[in-house]
Amino acid sequence: MVKLTFLKADGSQVETDVAPGNSLMQAAVNAGVDAIAAECGGACACGTCHCVLPQDWFERVAAPASDEIDMLEFVIEPQPTSRLSCQVVVTEEMQDMVISVPDTQV
Amino acid sequence: MIELNVLSRFYMREEVMFTDPAPNFNFDPHSAEFAADPYTTYAAMRAIDMPYYWEEADTWMLTKMADVEAVALNKNMLRNNEAFVSEIDRKEQQRAINFHDMPYHERYVQVNLLESEGETHSRLRKVVFREFTPAMISRQREAIQTFVDGLLEELSDQNEIDFVSDFAAHVPGHIIGRVLGVPDEDAPKLRHWSEEVVRFFDPGREDADKARAEFATKEFYEYLLDLLATREAALQDDLLSRLIGHRDAGQLSQDELISTAMLILMAGHGSTIDVLGSGMHALLRFPDQNQRLRDDAALMKTAVQEMFRFESPLPYFHRFATEETEVGGRKFPAGTRFGLLYGAANHDPVRFDNPDKFDVGRSPNRHLAFGGGGHFCLGNHLARLDMDVIFSSINARFSGIELADTKVEYKRGLSVRGPKALRMGWKRA
Repeated sequence: MVKLTFLKADGSQVETDVAPGNSLMQAAVNAGVDAIAAECGGACACGTCHCVLPQDWFERVAAPASDEIDMLEFVIEPQPTSRLSCQVVVTEEMQDMVISVPDTQV
Repeated sequence: MIELNVLSRFYMREEVMFTDPAPNFNFDPHSAEFAADPYTTYAAMRAIDMPYYWEEADTWMLTKMADVEAVALNKNMLRNNEAFVSEIDRKEQQRAINFHDMPYHERYVQVNLLESEGETHSRLRKVVFREFTPAMISRQREAIQTFVDGLLEELSDQNEIDFVSDFAAHVPGHIIGRVLGVPDEDAPKLRHWSEEVVRFFDPGREDADKARAEFATKEFYEYLLDLLATREAALQDDLLSRLIGHRDAGQLSQDELISTAMLILMAGHGSTIDVLGSGMHALLRFPDQNQRLRDDAALMKTAVQEMFRFESPLPYFHRFATEETEVGGRKFPAGTRFGLLYGAANHDPVRFDNPDKFDVGRSPNRHLAFGGGGHFCLGNHLARLDMDVIFSSINARFSGIELADTKVEYKRGLSVRGPKALRMGWKRA
């Protein structure tokens, strides 16, 4: 299991243990992180699972595909290290990563 | 009435060895009983340990949230079966479901963004998605508010109305029409065409309905062609003008432009009318929840989500398996057609506590009323904004709302869900 921390916009944190192979979105939803709406269920089709990765992690995880890049254009207040959490697969190396989630997705 | 068929009985015997092989329910989505209460049937279907084979549509019906969600998200499950069926076989299948010999419908309705997959779907979805983002849709709030206020003002001196025909039926068409760039006065025509075309998607297609659907599609097409010519002469700040720009930039063809415009208008019509009606009905059936919402307007966002979950207006879609796939614990061959009963999944007690209770504060509320996966409803933000503005405005303007006729009849069929009429009394607050 990999320990992840979701940092909410209000400063509170949600820690969770997730099996590698799941997406960050699945980890957030299972941990009850409401700000990750993920309304399409994880198909890169709604843009409501926006999260922001730490700079160093953003550079290390697999780069976003063109579909995700297109969707990121429309999220609220995109950041240079924004990702759609449904498209980021959790790996063992992500132990203790802190992921920021916005206040709202819509 | 359709009893559990022989094939299903065989599978039940084979795989569920220690339970009664013949579940005690009839699945007849055309019946008045099903229209009155589909959820008892859905619960009985969920109780069997495998998908239910519906012989009439040669479709395996899925009612559990886990199964419906898995199929909706499975990239090997497609809306059409072109990938693994020859053109001859496909035409034969079209004939079998009475979807043939209707050139306008085949060209502009049976082929569109919703029915496409792969590159075509991605390309068209990208064009339309940017028009329906929360930021774009929020630009419509003031126009929606103004239109709703005007309509409510017209109705405010009436002590009793049919909420469906007097109010709900007028709103979504006007709003989506304005988004696209259709003149307000044409909204009734668009609603009529939409209903004629959409009705034909329900299984059990009669020739009379087919002729009406084809005629409506032809009129719809000719109307859009005229409107396009007008816009081409003078582009405006509307979706139709931007679609023309995308067409001229080579991002979609003329046929795709027409079918996309038609799809947007159709998708923005009936289902929102239906959920407005069923949403109001739910508030009146559960007066404690109605009062709770009146006392705390901040609950409107969750209340609207609950309206979509509780009576999902488009409760049924389908997918084809492109390869052998395991669903609900058993394997199905490539080509299998699955029925995704979103309305049933949204009442699955495994996902929702007290699923048959209408709870305006329900959270989380991870329902599938807008579908799931790559075909997730593009208009969801607009539909929710419509609902938010409408119910907030009604609560601000009216009080003492109650059913004038407690016998509320819902539309028959599997593909739609909404009351035919909703007679209710109200008075100016």
